[in-house]
Amino acid sequence: MNFLKKSLKKYKETIQFQSMVIPALVLYCIFVALPIITTFYFSITNYNKFHIIDYIIVGLKNYGQIFKIEMLKTALVNSGKYAIFMTLFQSLIAIPLAVFLNKKIRFSNLYRVLFFLPAMFSPLVMGYLWQVMLSPGNIGIVNQFLMKFGFEPVQFLNSQNGLNSVIFSQVWQWVGWAVVIYLANLQTIPEDMIEAAKIDGASDTKIFFHLILPLLYPGATVVLVSSLVGGLKVYDIIQAMTGGGPGYATETIISSMIKIGFNEGNYALSAAYGVIFFIIVMVFTLILMYLLRAWERKVS
Amino acid sequence: MKKEKIKNRIISICIFLLVCVWMIPVYYMVVSTFKTGAEVATSPLALPSHFSFDAYMDSFVKMQYPKALFNTAFISVMTVLINVTVSTFAAYTLARRDNRINRFIYMFFIVGMMVPVQMGLSSLYKIMSGLKLVDNLFSVVLINAAASTISSIFLIKSFIKSAIPVELEEAAKVDGCSVFGVFFRIVLPLLKPVLATVTIIVMLGTWNDYLNPSLFLQSRQNNVILQELYRNVGQFSTDWASMFPMLVLGILPLTIVYVLLQKFIISGVTQGSIKG
Repeated sequence: MNFLKKSLKKYKETIQFQSMVIPALVLYCIFVALPIITTFYFSITNYNKFHIIDYIIVGLKNYGQIFKIEMLKTALVNSGKYAIFMTLFQSLIAIPLAVFLNKKIRFSNLYRVLFFLPAMFSPLVMGYLWQVMLSPGNIGIVNQFLMKFGFEPVQFLNSQNGLNSVIFSQVWQWVGWAVVIYLANLQTIPEDMIEAAKIDGASDTKIFFHLILPLLYPGATVVLVSSLVGGLKVYDIIQAMTGGGPGYATETIISSMIKIGFNEGNYALSAAYGVIFFIIVMVFTLILMYLLRAWERKVS
Repeated sequence: MKKEKIKNRIISICIFLLVCVWMIPVYYMVVSTFKTGAEVATSPLALPSHFSFDAYMDSFVKMQYPKALFNTAFISVMTVLINVTVSTFAAYTLARRDNRINRFIYMFFIVGMMVPVQMGLSSLYKIMSGLKLVDNLFSVVLINAAASTISSIFLIKSFIKSAIPVELEEAAKVDGCSVFGVFFRIVLPLLKPVLATVTIIVMLGTWNDYLNPSLFLQSRQNNVILQELYRNVGQFSTDWASMFPMLVLGILPLTIVYVLLQKFIISGVTQGSIKG
């Protein structure tokens, strides 16, 4: 009798425990997993606005079509370029800045708060702001400064410079976020370790490259991985600054995916493009992980 | 030692100058809201000749600000509530019931970190119209709440495993508490720090989300602040000086929150990303 009671209690407990997973699982399945899985399926059909119900499997035709459309090829290159350069410059600026802010200087905390401020704002808003600041002629404040110092005004948002300007504005916006993470990482490095190296006569540059930089590995993993993957998903800032133009010169993966899927109604092609997007994110992440692992091995 | 001091002084000055240059865009945006178009063009960085809030009132009306603010706040608060509730429940079980099924479920969530969820936007639209949720605020709420379960469950689960001793729960169980009793009375109060982190991360992400509202909320009465901004800035591109108050109104709510809670926000973002 006692045994029965005990196993009944255990059973009840298991049910209670497992029922707690269900809400999250249902939400995740319907709104995350299902769209992703069906995208793989739609990518091999002819599902579009003319075949909403009567679509059939057509094989890999959509994938072949992607590489015949200039806009889609440009968008892949743009997103890749954006992700790589944005990630690179962000950390190149943020790491030295974090090292300096970590020294005992006055207002260091205030500076941190100020550098982080742009990261609170929507990229859409910052995009409009930079669009005005970089606009041609004597409207844009940046060109006004250039002309004041005797330089020729620059067309920052044309097809040649547009993407670079977008990268520049986003490095400005997100450096503070990276600084905050690198600073948190730096604060875990014991101070006596650096003091000891100083007493041994190591120069500041030597301490930075041989002691501090290797120990920034955890912070760098966070910053590099999320900037790279986030960079491939870039959308808002493009909408505000260039709208993908001129022409399709600054189109990105998500913006052109929306164009072919939502505006032109070619759902199958946009699904195939989504699968390519998935593959690119995977490849980028794996390469970065490989590089980071090499860094980690060097540390230990 | 003296050399060190001089060096620090130089670094201080350099960083001070850098911060000033870094803040020019923000300063320019705010100071331009009080100027006329001609004033913005001729003396962009000077203080305005007179302060007037007329431009703000104008933008406030044009952007239908109270409605847009309500929609944004409603979406963000509901997203946080739903996400935190379901994620905490799930994370508790996944942390405390370590069997094969739960390990699989956990992996199923974590794999989502590697996948760009935006790849399925067209399919998501089909699902939303099937559920009759298109042009309903809850479409964006559910999308963001679901997508955030990945990071939230990860954060809460690792917090439970590292910071909450199982002995505490077992003692309560011996005293006759049920699973839910233990969860609500013992575990939940101890989760405050991680729930604050999760709330901040999900709130920021949802508040600044433009992609999902722009695809799923078409009619104007359902638009969020960023959509109103997109509509108005695009429309009045000739009178571009009137854009600045709109930009400031676009970021004002989060700026106020940031000024009040910057310590928590910065630590929340760091906690969230270092463990995530």
